Amino acid sequence: MRSLFLNTTSSFVNIAILEDNNILYNYEDKIINDASSKIMPIIYEGFNKINFTINDIDNIFVVNGPGSFTGIRIGVTVGKTIAWALKKKIIPISSLEFLATTQTSKKYIVPLIDARRGNVFAGIYDNNLNVIKKDSLINLELLIKDLNSDYSFVSNDEFDIENIIKPKVDILKIVGKHLTDLGVNPHNLNPNYLKLTEAEENLKND
Amino acid sequence: MKDIYILGIETSCDETSVSIVKNGCDEITTVVLSQMDTHSNYGGVVPEIASRMHVENITMVIEECLEKSSLTMDDIDAISVTYGPGLIGCLLIGVLAATTLSYIYNKPLIPVHHIAGHIYANNLVSEMKFPLIALVISGGHTELIYMSDHYSFKKIGGTLDDAVGECYDKVARVIGVPYPGGPMVDRLSYKGKDTYPLPLPLDDNTYNFSFSGIKSAVINLVHNELQRGNEIRKEDIACSFQNRVVEVLSKKTMKALKEYNVKNLIIAGGVSANSGIRDKFTSLCEANGINLTIPNIKYCTDNAAMIASAGYFAYKKKIISGYDLKACANTSLFE
Repeated sequence: MRSLFLNTTSSFVNIAILEDNNILYNYEDKIINDASSKIMPIIYEGFNKINFTINDIDNIFVVNGPGSFTGIRIGVTVGKTIAWALKKKIIPISSLEFLATTQTSKKYIVPLIDARRGNVFAGIYDNNLNVIKKDSLINLELLIKDLNSDYSFVSNDEFDIENIIKPKVDILKIVGKHLTDLGVNPHNLNPNYLKLTEAEENLKND
Repeated sequence: MKDIYILGIETSCDETSVSIVKNGCDEITTVVLSQMDTHSNYGGVVPEIASRMHVENITMVIEECLEKSSLTMDDIDAISVTYGPGLIGCLLIGVLAATTLSYIYNKPLIPVHHIAGHIYANNLVSEMKFPLIALVISGGHTELIYMSDHYSFKKIGGTLDDAVGECYDKVARVIGVPYPGGPMVDRLSYKGKDTYPLPLPLDDNTYNFSFSGIKSAVINLVHNELQRGNEIRKEDIACSFQNRVVEVLSKKTMKALKEYNVKNLIIAGGVSANSGIRDKFTSLCEANGINLTIPNIKYCTDNAAMIASAGYFAYKKKIISGYDLKACANTSLFE
């Protein structure tokens, strides 16, 4: 089984090519500027370094949010275009669940992404990536007030809270978990922003 | 000679469009998915909503275009795409989809400037003859361009402030005409009389334009009339305004044709759909022996056919990008 894995939902970009339980190519770095123009060269370089082509993959995993709106769209556009063109299976992955692949010593993992104005995108997962609390947009203080020391927070962003660690994501773990997912029609593989645009919010509140 | 098929992609604003054009002049199929109904709820294009809609629709529009054309990607020689100028989040979707297709199918990737696209909408009407003067008028541009040959663009004048389309939209808002304002002002102007003494914008010897003055004049006029308790005659304001705009555009364009000794004029961009402008230039060019081309109304607004047409001539000039093609919100057509 050969897979392409794309995560461009934040400035920490992951692009990987996998074969069964092996990562043949792994790009993992922080891209501050012009991520959009760097993604295709990274994919191109990746397939140049291994002994099969993009035509030989079986499925594509795309992290489709929540996160940076533009960032999400970069991965989703590339992923769905590849999947449509090559008629490959495409499987959406939650950016929060991906952060929750980080190993911790606690029972539960709470991945956080800054959503500004005191809000975060967050979910709660156990160590096997089972969903304890669904991904949502929530006020940070509201989220943490009932969470005891069984919970470990994972984030690339800075928060003034205890028990918070930087992520160390595990691509094999997340791919393993979702390998048997049915996948979606590429046309319907869309971003999961978890947030309306400001204009839509304003229109709704009028 | 072998026929060349270019697949074009355009997502610079609120239209998701894909087209296939043969040899830069024969349109095979064009699909345009307009988001106008959505944006009309907000009184204008909301960039984030536009970007969201592009990503949702892009592969469907590509598929529909190919299906309608009865061609496959194997028949396509190159992929062209608008890389700028435009709304950055929107441009990105088209650029990334085009780059991905270029990689997967191993086809050259041709970056097309949006204004070059508008100019080449004319090549779908009739073969462009050189030298020519192009008057580009849209929501973001007002430029006079001299072309000695294909894909050679020399700017001879442009707006110093607002674009003509921008000015139309502003005037529409001030006189209370709903979005999209420009076409509505055009329609209203035919029902009114030229009764308001608006100034002729930047009536000088250069090829430059300025529309902020006439915009302010309309704002002040409406303000003063309201203060005096007078009724605003929208039709008459629209007519007076349109007459001034058409006059200055035609005056400077005709002067450029004469001074550059050029017999071919093309008009391009969204505002070339304006009937006042079409009528005036048609009669002026007839009277002066100028060969005029204006795109069909459906090609005046953003579409991918014009990007595929321009893409053909860029391809001939070997303007080919790597997979690191960058979308640019602001980029000049001129060196």
